[in-house]
Amino acid sequence: MAHTLQILILGLALGGVFALMGAGLSLVFGVMRIVNLAHPVMIIGGAYVAYWGFRLWGVDPLVTLPIAAVILAAVGVILYKVVFEKEAKAATYSEMTVLLTFAVAMIIEGALGTAFSNTQRVTSPDYATDAIFIGDIFIPTGQLYAGIVSLVIISGLALFLKYSRFGYAIRATTQNRDAASLLGVNVNLVSMVSFAIGVGLAGAAGALVSFVFSFFPAKHWEWIAILMSLVVLGGMGSILGTVVAAFLLSVIAAFVGAYVGATWSTMTFFLALFLILIVRPQGLFGDKPELA
Amino acid sequence: MTELLTVTGITAGYGDGPAILDGAHLTVEPGKVHCIIGPNGAGKSTLLKAICGMLKIRKGEVRFKGERLNGLRPDQIYRKGIVFVPQERALFPKMSVRENLRMGGFIMDDAHELDRRVEEVMERFPILKERAHQKAGTMSGGQQQTLAMARTMIIKPDIVMLDEPSLGLAPKIVKEMFEIMAMMAKDGITILLVEQNALMGLKHADWGVVLDLGRTLFEGPAAEVLGDPRIQELYLGGKRAA
Repeated sequence: MAHTLQILILGLALGGVFALMGAGLSLVFGVMRIVNLAHPVMIIGGAYVAYWGFRLWGVDPLVTLPIAAVILAAVGVILYKVVFEKEAKAATYSEMTVLLTFAVAMIIEGALGTAFSNTQRVTSPDYATDAIFIGDIFIPTGQLYAGIVSLVIISGLALFLKYSRFGYAIRATTQNRDAASLLGVNVNLVSMVSFAIGVGLAGAAGALVSFVFSFFPAKHWEWIAILMSLVVLGGMGSILGTVVAAFLLSVIAAFVGAYVGATWSTMTFFLALFLILIVRPQGLFGDKPELA
Repeated sequence: MTELLTVTGITAGYGDGPAILDGAHLTVEPGKVHCIIGPNGAGKSTLLKAICGMLKIRKGEVRFKGERLNGLRPDQIYRKGIVFVPQERALFPKMSVRENLRMGGFIMDDAHELDRRVEEVMERFPILKERAHQKAGTMSGGQQQTLAMARTMIIKPDIVMLDEPSLGLAPKIVKEMFEIMAMMAKDGITILLVEQNALMGLKHADWGVVLDLGRTLFEGPAAEVLGDPRIQELYLGGKRAA
């Protein structure tokens, strides 16, 4: 029993981090219909900001987190202006952006590899290796903090989307881009800001990732499949869905890791991706594909 | 000058495709209901989309209160006071009725005034008040059309352009849509209506505009257009008693 509870807790802690990693990807897909394959490499970018802050000046990654978010959001704005804005009117936009974001991912990976080498990195604030014990159960504080911070950020995002005027505009654009435009929403601006927020969230997630996982530039290829499975299970574009999916799949992966074998743990996400696409392609909270 | 909106010889189409509109003209006078009729593919919807900024105007110009609208985005044109309700109704399916109405006033800076107008509109349309918290996507076609039309009243616009509000609705509901349109006209809103059913559209209009092959064939008082033998012949199926 204690063992089961232990696995559940570890799964949930990891789920929190994955939730934030996937939230930005889901937001960007919802608003712009861009499957941003460069999202995970942006997370690595954020992780490097936290890593160098910690390594050079001993700054806690949780302190660097907002800085990483802002830096990456700025990268998002530049990227949007240079790469995505011009293509926005093309009929083949979705297909184009898959290739474009793939190329962007390769370029950033290459740049990071050249600048920082392909050595595995990790930030090691004290809490990263600490744990809280409740009876026989231990909770790694690093993952616990990351999970909590992640949920706080996602809650903030949810409140922003639900109640702010710009949040209204983002939701409206996600649900019906033409309609939003016809009601006075500058959808290009909404797209740019959403993309910046999405990439900014990747930066924030990167700061958390820096002490939860070890990372190196090419690590993002592993994450893209994991994050895609979350976004697809949640329902493309549904942030709530992505969060629920993150917890669900992380817990399942934790149990698979414990009872089947650690090497099968990551496979859970990949198998889930296939299964969802076959059984329920619209995901948990997504719309059924329209027949029109 | 009494015209509110003038369209002069515009050419427009979808993407890089052929020109659907090819030199269309239109004069919109304040306070009147204008009905654009014409056979399938005449460019009726395209004309509305070109005016509201959804389509690029390749040639000619659109002027509103003397100001040139060419090249403006739909959101900019909305802010000028021209509202377009497309055939698809432009609703947000996962937002509640109230949220949809609030989106109608997205451009308003005064949140209290917006709330007041949302309440006002819901008072006028009890069905919307009753379903204030229902998601728009789960309502019937008639209710959705009511919401889309009622929503235009939030910003008290100058012109409302309706693209076939009767499409896919039962006759009884269609009657209701025309009643709403009459209500809007009574409020002083200028209406630009595209209607497939020319007879019904013209009956509810002051001014008729006949479009064919992307050009304005002729226009005139709705009653005259309705009685014009060419129209009877071409678009109303000939022998029909009007």
